[in-house]
Order: sequence, then structure tokens, then C-alpha cells
Amino acid sequence: MAELPLSGIRVCDLTWVIAGPTATRILADFGAEVIRVEHGQAADPIRLGRPIAGERPTLNNSGFFNYFNRNKKSVLLNVRHPQGMEVLRRLVAVSDVVIENFSSGVLESWGLDEAAMRAVNPRVISCSISGFGHTGRDRHFTTWGPTAQALSGLTMMSGLPGKPPAGWGYSYLDHTAGYLAAIAVMMALHYRNLTGEGQTIDIAQVETGMVLTGPAVLDFTVNGRSWRREGMPPGNRAWEPRVAPHNTYRCAGEDRWVAVAVRNDAEWAALRAAMGEPAWAAEERFATNAGRLANEDALDAGIEAWTRERDAYEVMAVLQAAGVPAGVCQAAGDRVERDPQLAARGWWATLPHAELGEAETDGVAPRLSRTPGTNRTASPLLGEHTREVMLGTLGMSAEEYEELEAMGVFM
Amino acid sequence: MSGPLTGLRVLELCGPVGQYAGKLLADMGADVVKVEPPDGGEARSIGPFVDDVPGPNRSLSFWYWNTNKRSVVLDLERPGDREVWLRLAEAADIVIEDRRPGELEGLGAGYAMVAERRPGLIWCAVTGFGQDGPWAGYETTDMVSLALGGAMMMNGYDPEDAPGAPPIRGHGDQGYATGCHYAVQGILAALLWRDRTGEGQFIDCSVHEAVSSTTEVALPYWFTQRVDVIRQTGRHAAASRTERWLHRAADGRWALIFGVGRDNASWRRVRAWFQSKGFGQQFDEPRFDDPAARQPGRGSPEAAEIFAELGRFIAAHPAEEVYRGGQERRQAWGVVRSPEENLSDPHWEDRGFWVAVEGEGREGRPVRMPGAPYRFSVTPWGLRRPAPKLGEHTAEVLREWLGTET
Repeated sequence: MAELPLSGIRVCDLTWVIAGPTATRILADFGAEVIRVEHGQAADPIRLGRPIAGERPTLNNSGFFNYFNRNKKSVLLNVRHPQGMEVLRRLVAVSDVVIENFSSGVLESWGLDEAAMRAVNPRVISCSISGFGHTGRDRHFTTWGPTAQALSGLTMMSGLPGKPPAGWGYSYLDHTAGYLAAIAVMMALHYRNLTGEGQTIDIAQVETGMVLTGPAVLDFTVNGRSWRREGMPPGNRAWEPRVAPHNTYRCAGEDRWVAVAVRNDAEWAALRAAMGEPAWAAEERFATNAGRLANEDALDAGIEAWTRERDAYEVMAVLQAAGVPAGVCQAAGDRVERDPQLAARGWWATLPHAELGEAETDGVAPRLSRTPGTNRTASPLLGEHTREVMLGTLGMSAEEYEELEAMGVFM
Repeated sequence: MSGPLTGLRVLELCGPVGQYAGKLLADMGADVVKVEPPDGGEARSIGPFVDDVPGPNRSLSFWYWNTNKRSVVLDLERPGDREVWLRLAEAADIVIEDRRPGELEGLGAGYAMVAERRPGLIWCAVTGFGQDGPWAGYETTDMVSLALGGAMMMNGYDPEDAPGAPPIRGHGDQGYATGCHYAVQGILAALLWRDRTGEGQFIDCSVHEAVSSTTEVALPYWFTQRVDVIRQTGRHAAASRTERWLHRAADGRWALIFGVGRDNASWRRVRAWFQSKGFGQQFDEPRFDDPAARQPGRGSPEAAEIFAELGRFIAAHPAEEVYRGGQERRQAWGVVRSPEENLSDPHWEDRGFWVAVEGEGREGRPVRMPGAPYRFSVTPWGLRRPAPKLGEHTAEVLREWLGTET
């Protein structure tokens, strides 16, 4: 197997649900040995999460879990057992990275606080993702992705004016907190390559959303303008830069939409030509961006009269050929079955899995020319690698393993 | 203390698509030089502007996405400036650019021109759709990337809230941000490889692929059951309709309720709180004792009753009070805030989250904006300088990186 950029990096993965496993999915894709430490009595709820193959959840048939946990190993470890805690310390001692996304305080309650971790492995990079971080008066508050999105301002920034917030439709900040955690860990690994020094990283999920609202915050601190005002959020119309037309338009078929974004007069001229120069579009009031913004309802109605008789993909192709930014609102099925770009770039893959069969997955987005990330194995079955890791990685004898197993350490 | 990337030289040729990747590296200590066209280009033309007066140094979008960078003006249409660009690229450890595929090659200013002479160079191209494939030449915008990548089809309204509503985009250039998160992952993986081997490489990062990998349950549902999830007001898209999460509070704001009393201990805390305010007297009845009966989405009459009473409770209290009261009782509840409303939440002050910057039109009057997405114990995030003025560092950088006096 080709060497991968993170080959030789071992990650003791205490994460669960989505944010943490997203971080370790990225590290695993790039070749890190990610060892998920799991507990039979308190299994990762995503192992039971729908969609599943078959009728009932088995802990090993969740497509949801599989998507976030490819390329990883799984060991069963009872950390509430004193010997289990000792095994965990041994694993920490031989790991480069320890990562968890429990609520603030949980790891401390196991007796594995920062000092304890550094005592067994001074060079370790330890990364924590929690809702509100490990400092601050509300550090014991907790989040799910939607909670963090609501607090950060991102939920408020998605919706139609005069309607409840729409956003975000999924846990965008579980992905994002995971991305930033993977970034932070790799930065810390680079620094350790230079100096030999490990460190601790504290990530608050709400903050990972707040950093994505910077211009909106500045509009308040500089101009005194709140996002909470008449006409906001602007739906799919443009906020900044304020250009028109910029919206989603209904196309032929059920719930089919195309997003069209015209950034300047040249693209407006191209859009008019692509629509066949309808008379309404030649009206003087639409000649400038300011005029189009002042008459946005009429403008959008005119464009939708053209799109709604047409197939969304055909509208996109015609507009893109004319140099106008346009994209179909694609569902997952569209992306897998109809998207020629993803198909041409070999984006989809399957990996064999004992309960999911040929489990489908997607690619690794940044494509490195020399050492690309890879899809090697589907998600691990619960505890699939316990023996392998205990004997191989930790160097236990078969006798010691069986003794600990009999004591209930590996459950 | 300084960031973990101190000493790394990064050359950035990016507009709105890729500039956040440069910020992520610059904020952690890298010396990021942003090469800009003489008029500043698109990145400086995006509002809002200071006092709503446009100008290359007054874009608040630019202020935010370009912290800690230095600015060099080069006109890549001119052969002399192209030569300077190539020499800067040769002097860099990392190049990030978001030009169309083939554009820089066409100018004789692309990766191939530099890679041979500088084998350790990491060059990352962030584009809408990647370097090849039938859509490689397509135009993109942030909204178009969120449409094609699948984010929008998961986000919108129940039909009764907004009949015929389209899929909805989240604002704030989140598609570009997602592309940049992946670009930086790629850059850092390549950097770790270079640490071991000295070898550089080219990174092709497609925003379309990045967004498509950022849609949570949507792909698993298709992969596993060939089902497309449906969008719902203010909550997760799902295979079938689920209970609402948003409840309107007494002050007109929205509280986000994510389950109630999942375990018995937290249920008792919530029940006591409700009852102290005159709500939920019936919750003492034993039929509410079963945790499973309290959870929504399973057709339980007790759950329906709890959520109805919860709605009445919330309608009688301000949203922030509901949020804090819930959290103090270990409920992961939230409140839908406008971004700037976090400025008055002292928790973020405790953590030192905000940073202050000055700029054109606000000289001597610093304003706050978001700071670090992560806290490093040894090599922290830091604001060393605000976003640069157009061409502010041209002479300085050419002297430092190339040893040339202009």
C-alpha cells in the first residue's frame, strides 16, 4: 500500500456522535491509525442511528455510523473498570493524538484529566471538542449541532424574511467543529515535528460557528446594523454583495429548483440572451443592478416564468454555457445518480462491510497529487480490533489479554 | 508565544473562494502574503463597507477574511510582474490560489513553472469544481456551491409555514468556508508529508466535493435506503416529518428545544422548574415516568402533552431565560441569536473570544470581531495585524522574500 501523509500517526479516538468522528475520519483518510475506544454499555448512539440496513439496529448496521467511521479500528474497553482505565492509559502512552468530544468535565470524571494524560505521555497532542469549551462561566452547558448553530447566529442567517429561521437542516457545526479539530491536530503535529513538544487544544463548538459570522458581526460593531431587522434574512437573495437577480427558481417537475446568481451587467445580458431576449427583460428598470434590486419581485417572477417550464439541469447547462453562474439544487440521490462532475472525478466508492454489504461512500475532497487520502476499509464492527490492538499495539501477551477479558475489561 | 506555523511562507492569490484558507494559516503564525491586482479585485469590493462608503480598504468582508496577511500588488497581465510572482512562489513553502483551472498555466504562472525548481513546494488550487471533469469550467458562487453540493435541499420549510418555499441557503459564504476547511486539511496533510520527506505536491480542492461531503445524514440515507430526506422548518431534514424544535418565546424570539428530560434525573429538574412557574402540574402522574414515553417522534401521547405544555411555558418566558434555565438543568437547549447578540454574552468574554481591530474610517477606534476557533495551550491563535491595506507591503515583502529593493 502506498504510504500516506499521516502514516505512523496513532490516534486514540474517544469521540462519538458526529463532530469528533468527523475529525478522526479526516485523520484516518490521510493514513493515521485511528483506534476508536468504545463501550458496550454506552455505545456511540450513532451506531444505532438511522438509516440502517435491515429492520432493527444491531450496533453494526448503521449507514450513518459507517459514513463517519471508515478507515478506523474499534476496541471495546470498559473505562469504569480500574483495569480498563489502566489499559486506556497504556493506549494513551503509545498514541500521538488523543481526541474526545464529551461534554466539558467528563474525561476528568474518568480520572484522565490533562495532568494525568501528560504524565503518561508528555508529547501527546490532546484535542477536546465540547459545546462551550473548557473555560468560561457556562462551560458545563452542552450542545448538539443545532444548539450550537442557533447560538452562533448561523441559524438566524438562513431563512425567508418574515418567516421562522429555516437553518440549517442538518448539523453543519458537527462537520465544521470536526474539520477545525482535524486542522488543529495537524497544525499541532507539525509543531511537534519541529520542537518535540505536544499540547492541548480546546474547541468550543459554538465558537466554530461564531467564527463563520465575522462580516455580520462587524456590520454591527462598525455600522451598528443588526442581522435582526426588516427584510432579513434575505432568503436566497444576495446579502453582500447586493446583486440581482440572485435567487432559486422553480423548474419543471416536483420540487425542482435552480439557483442563479448574476454578479454584473454582463452576466445579466448573458442571462437575457439565454432566455431568448424576452421583452420584459429589456425594460429600462432592469438595465442596472440598482434598478434590478429595486424591482426584484418582478425580476424574479420573469425569470421563474422561463425556468418553470424547463428541466433544472437543462437550465443550468444553458446558463453555464452563457457564462452565468447556475446550479441545480441537488438532493443526495441527484449527486449520486445524476451529477456528471462527481462521477467523472471518481467520487463514489464502495467498501465491503459485514452487515452493510458493499457499503457506499464518497471520496477525500482535497486531492493530493503525491499522497492522496484513500478509502481502505468500511467502518469497524464494535470491538472488531480489540484483540489485535491489545496484542499488537500494546504488546499484551495472550494470557494477559484473556485474564483482562475474563475480568470484564473488554466490554 | 506564537502560532504553530511560524516560519512558514504562504503565497495567496485568492478572492472570496479561497481567502479564508489563507486566514486559517495566517492566524496560526504563517507569513501569508496576499497577491492582489492593482484595483484590489473582487475580495475588496464586497460589502458591507465602513459607514457604507465603498473603497478598497473599507470592506468589512475583507477585514474579516484577511487578518494577519500582508498585501503585495502585482498585475499578472504584465510580464515583469509575472516574473515577480514566479519568484515569490519559488520563495514560498505553500501557494494557495483560486483561479479557474488552467488560467495561471495559460499565463505561464502556474504550478508547473515553479514545481521543478522548487520540489518542496505545496501548491493548493481551490476551485468551484476541481481541475478536471465536465463542470471544471463552470462558474460558481457561494449559493451555487450550496445548491449543487446538496446543502440547500436539506434546508427550508414545512409546507404549512411557507407554502411552495424553495430550498434555502445559509448565509455567510459557508460553501466557500467549507471548501477552505478541506483545502487547509489537504495543505496540512501535505505539510506533514513534507516534514518527513522534503517532498511537495499539488492539491486539487473542489468546493463542490467539499460541500457534498458536508451534508450529514443525506448521503447515508441514499447509500443505505435510496431515500432522499425532506426539509423542515428550523430542524433536521429527515426521511419523514418530525416534531418541531423551534418555539416562539414571550419576547418573539425563538427557543430551540432538543428533547426534554431524556433521563429521569434531568426530567425531575425540568418538571420542578415548570411546576415552580405554574406549568405542568399533571407531570406528577406516573405515566410520565417512563423516559421512552417522553421522547417525541414515537407517537406517544405523553410526549405530545409534554411538548404542548412546553410550548405554553416558552410562550410565557423570554427566550434567553428558557435557554439558560434549560441548560442549568442539563438540557442542551438553545436560543436563536443574531450573530452580534453574542457580544453581550459574558461567557465569550471569559474565554477571550473577541478581538479588536482598527482600519480605514475607524482609526484609533477599535471594533470587535470574532477571534480564535480553537485554543492551543503552547502555540495559540493570535491577531498580529489587521487585514492589510491594498499594496501596503509590496516593497517590504519583495525585500524580505526576494532581496530586491524597489
